[in-house]
Amino acid sequence: MATDLATPPTAARKSTRPKRADKVPLGMAVLRYRWLYLMLVPGVAYFAIFKYLPMYGVTIAFQDYLPFLGYSGSPWVGLKHFEQLFSGPDFARLLANTLILAALHILFVFTAPVIVALMLNELRVNILKRSIQSLIYIPHFLSWTIVAALTYVLFAADFGVIAGWMRDLLGDTTKIDYMAQEQWFREIVIMQQLWKMTGWGTIIYLAALAGVDPNLYEAARMDGAGRFRQLWHVTLPAIRPTVVVMAILASGNLLDSGFEQIWLMTTSLNREVAEVFDTYVYYAGVQNGNFSYSTAVGLFKGVAGVILIFGSNWLAKRMGQRGLF
Amino acid sequence: MSASRRRRLLAGVLTLTAALTASACSGGGEAAQSDPNTITFMAKLFGTAPEPTGELQQAIEKFLGKKIKVTWVPNAEYTEKMNVTLASDSIPQVVVVDPKMPAFVKAAQAGAFWDLTDKLDKYPNLKPTDAQTALNASVNGKTYGLYRMRPLLRSAIIIRKDWLEKVGLKEPTTVDEFYEVAKAFTEKDPDGNGKKDTYGLIIPKWPSSSYASASPYDVVETWFGAPNGWGERDGKVVPGFDTPEFIEANKFLKKMVDEGLINPDFATLDTAKWNEPFFHGRGGMIIDVNIRSRQVLDLFRENGDKDYGDKVTMVGNLARSDGKKFSYPFTGYADSLAISKQSVRTEAELDNVLKTLDKLATKEGQVLLQNGIEGRNFKVDNGDTATLINVDDPAVRTVQDNVDDAFTQLSTKGTMDIGGIAYQRIPPFQPYRDIIDKQKKLVEEDLKTAVHNVALPVVAPTQVEKGPQIDKIIGDARVKFLSGAIDEAGLKAEIQKWHDGGGTQIITEVNDLLAKLPK
Amino acid sequence: MTTMTETKPKKLAVEHHGSAGSRVFDVLNVVALVGLALITVLPLIYVLAASLASEPEIAARPFFLWPEKVVTEAYEYIFATPTFIRSLLTTVVVTAVGMVVQVMLTFTMAYPLAKRYLPGRTLVLNLVIFTMVFSGGMIPTYLVVRDLGLLDSYWALILPLAINPFYLIIVKSFFQELPQALEEAARIDGCNEMGVFLKIVLPLSKPIIATFSLFYAVAIWNDYMSPLLYISDPDKWTLQILVRQLIATDPAAALSQMDRTWVPPEQGVKFAIIVIATLPILFFYPFLQKHFAKGVLIGGVKE
Repeated sequence: MATDLATPPTAARKSTRPKRADKVPLGMAVLRYRWLYLMLVPGVAYFAIFKYLPMYGVTIAFQDYLPFLGYSGSPWVGLKHFEQLFSGPDFARLLANTLILAALHILFVFTAPVIVALMLNELRVNILKRSIQSLIYIPHFLSWTIVAALTYVLFAADFGVIAGWMRDLLGDTTKIDYMAQEQWFREIVIMQQLWKMTGWGTIIYLAALAGVDPNLYEAARMDGAGRFRQLWHVTLPAIRPTVVVMAILASGNLLDSGFEQIWLMTTSLNREVAEVFDTYVYYAGVQNGNFSYSTAVGLFKGVAGVILIFGSNWLAKRMGQRGLF
Repeated sequence: MSASRRRRLLAGVLTLTAALTASACSGGGEAAQSDPNTITFMAKLFGTAPEPTGELQQAIEKFLGKKIKVTWVPNAEYTEKMNVTLASDSIPQVVVVDPKMPAFVKAAQAGAFWDLTDKLDKYPNLKPTDAQTALNASVNGKTYGLYRMRPLLRSAIIIRKDWLEKVGLKEPTTVDEFYEVAKAFTEKDPDGNGKKDTYGLIIPKWPSSSYASASPYDVVETWFGAPNGWGERDGKVVPGFDTPEFIEANKFLKKMVDEGLINPDFATLDTAKWNEPFFHGRGGMIIDVNIRSRQVLDLFRENGDKDYGDKVTMVGNLARSDGKKFSYPFTGYADSLAISKQSVRTEAELDNVLKTLDKLATKEGQVLLQNGIEGRNFKVDNGDTATLINVDDPAVRTVQDNVDDAFTQLSTKGTMDIGGIAYQRIPPFQPYRDIIDKQKKLVEEDLKTAVHNVALPVVAPTQVEKGPQIDKIIGDARVKFLSGAIDEAGLKAEIQKWHDGGGTQIITEVNDLLAKLPK
Repeated sequence: MTTMTETKPKKLAVEHHGSAGSRVFDVLNVVALVGLALITVLPLIYVLAASLASEPEIAARPFFLWPEKVVTEAYEYIFATPTFIRSLLTTVVVTAVGMVVQVMLTFTMAYPLAKRYLPGRTLVLNLVIFTMVFSGGMIPTYLVVRDLGLLDSYWALILPLAINPFYLIIVKSFFQELPQALEEAARIDGCNEMGVFLKIVLPLSKPIIATFSLFYAVAIWNDYMSPLLYISDPDKWTLQILVRQLIATDPAAALSQMDRTWVPPEQGVKFAIIVIATLPILFFYPFLQKHFAKGVLIGGVKE
């Protein structure tokens, strides 16, 4: 039984699978796998029409685009917008702020659902498990506007809940304005994300855990494995592929900070650390009607995303994981 | 199981294909319609959209003798919708738009909208009632739309009347008295709970971090004699923050912050919660538009306070220490109705649209847009004020909502707040009437000392290019200075940063453009 | 189905031979999770309480879990709004139809992509991943939707978002984890790939289908950008437009501070619309949980 556990399912699978068909002439392959190709058709059509057809839109990064003049009428300006982005005095700061938030996101917000899903999985009272699950995913439905309003209720310097505790329990009446200060900005943003996203994030891992064959646990128990060894040898391997896939996918969006949340939490006092690409583009691009500039920033983020996503996929494969493809 | 699943799958795929084919054939050309008997609009929507068959819309159509078709767009996403609409060829004929919005300025200059500069004189109701406001709403002297008239002077201080009595002070008229009141509100326990837990002035996190955006800071600076946005100094037009009065005013505010006379969370307090400290008895004064006085009256009244009229009073702009008074005016307009060249192609079509708008700008038309249907949702008192009637009838409520949430956006001659050429709306309670009477007097008085922003008519190219990025330098620096994050030298350094980041260029352009304006 | 009832007692039986360390862990685990649930839920209770509180009470009390006096004005206001019921129904229907279409398209595409031996698969996957980081932007997409004649059609709320590349990749990797033995068996029984997919793979994937049904449903439910851009006829607006309208803090409004004649909706209405807009989709979750409890193989082997 122990050998069964140790053998990764992949190894068993490879032997029974047909070999990769690269060598087979294309016509033969199409004929042989016609059903599979047929199943691909609607999806491929979708991506062609709704994703690739509009791709010509990225060309406006090299224009001074005006909606009224359209793609053909707007003047070409080459790399002007990229120069403006990279040579701007704010570029280094924006990049640093964006990357720090991304790193904190990976460190806390990405990992929290995995841990909570594992904790929920260990919960044996079913009714409790279900209730907790149902409660913690509700915040996903609240907009950032509401989350910001609730944060204010909690952290307001004047009559916030925290300020109230500081006063009543500690006799501290300094009235710190947490939401205004640079040193609290990242903490608050990450806390908000944890609150809003953790419960929702567990769903995907719980779905993965639901797929674990109970016989594996049974077998492990018969081998004398305790709770923690079962967790280590059965549960973790079961969700690892999902975690890896989620991590690779997340890497592609590393430079996305989420405009609305950051925008709502930015104040005159914390802008130095709060401003990220997404909010900066809002000022420079959207508010100014400068589509070309915001597209240029989008293009830059896209290139970074492609490098990150393919890079982490390669890394995952190097580390013996399956990766995305 | 699997058989039925397959059937369902098949059914789904068929529906999908059918839908795609069907819609692919019906689609195409809604654009380029120019039925002279239908006028199309795009306007901001607050709340819920009116039904095209609704009572009010029908009344308006009957009045105009034409069909109207309005694309109502929720206010929060108006810019996005505007941009996709500009890119497609299905733009409505008349569009409500901020005439200074960079995207609009660029589009108008590229020829997307009609230049109405010399075209309005032959329409009696479209001819600007105030030449200065018309110039203010223009783009470097060119009129790309009909400006929507709004109250010119709206700044005021709303004060807890009961607190004033408690601390034994009279209504302030100068900044020094204002300071005294704020100090007494902070230190003399105006709420009588025995604790020092109040402050004088409530300032929220201003939604726009730009300089000169009608924030309480901007108003106080004007009191101290700084230009309102832009003003003339030694024959040259300069931004307000380049004057010593700006520094002076902010030092005054900084002193108030340091002494605890302003709420400690002025950098973060949500504007939506601005009234709360006032109502809850934590803060005693608000510097904002005068109509806020009615909002706080609402709060006290809804709370079941019988003497709610004794809780709120209002004063106008303040004189500075040497007795000189400078009042803070607004722009006198908000947004314009611009006419698209894409959907109104010829002069004849333009004439048709303008004639319709002209009719809409008559008293009867404006009453429909701003008040509703007389005898249905309001009645006229004393010949000049509107009182709501039948408020409990759901059908009438719909008419009222259609006015408030939607159609008032198309009005060009004032709002229900000041009436304009329609009727002013007044709640049927004495304290409201009292405060509105007072408001009228204050406005009249303050208009005499109003300091106008001389640069309103011009849009500097560098401002369009870089404005939003560098504008916030000043707004941020001001708050940083008040909170103590930077000192006076730091504030001046930030102002220098504005100059270096394109501000110097903007000053030159503004001066050049102003010189070129038609006198 | 029947196996489920069999597995339960087994799981309960485990608790008997838990070690002391295991029991301590259980206690800590319960405490931590209950704490987590409380942190999540308290602000939510505030939202609910505030939706039932009077305007002066919301203004006077910074935080509370139940109003001193329950008023239902805010709800009455929303329900009396003529467009409310219609937009709610519209949203339910669009969400249901959209969810089915999107799940079908996603799962159908994910299955062949899970076959490592399929020529051209890597290319398709690369192209899909590419779309996750690059997009043509709002305006070109709008023009495509317009050219397809989908403006003012409910399909515009469904088709442009028909396949979420993230979900596609995750479903694909779930498929790769499915035991292959069953598929082999079915193939030997003479099923073609489509048959294997319909008869074997889909029944095995119930928890995953449930999960992604929820994901798609919630995405359509919460979407406000598509109805805003593609639907001009207010009769066809969805609930989220109403919600946005009532609660959004508007970045652009910052610019038009000059025009503050409009009185924003009262705080109570803001909270009430959140409650109303969230409740219907919340009811979806219990159905999903049922599938989680079963697990893949329990359902699958029986089939």
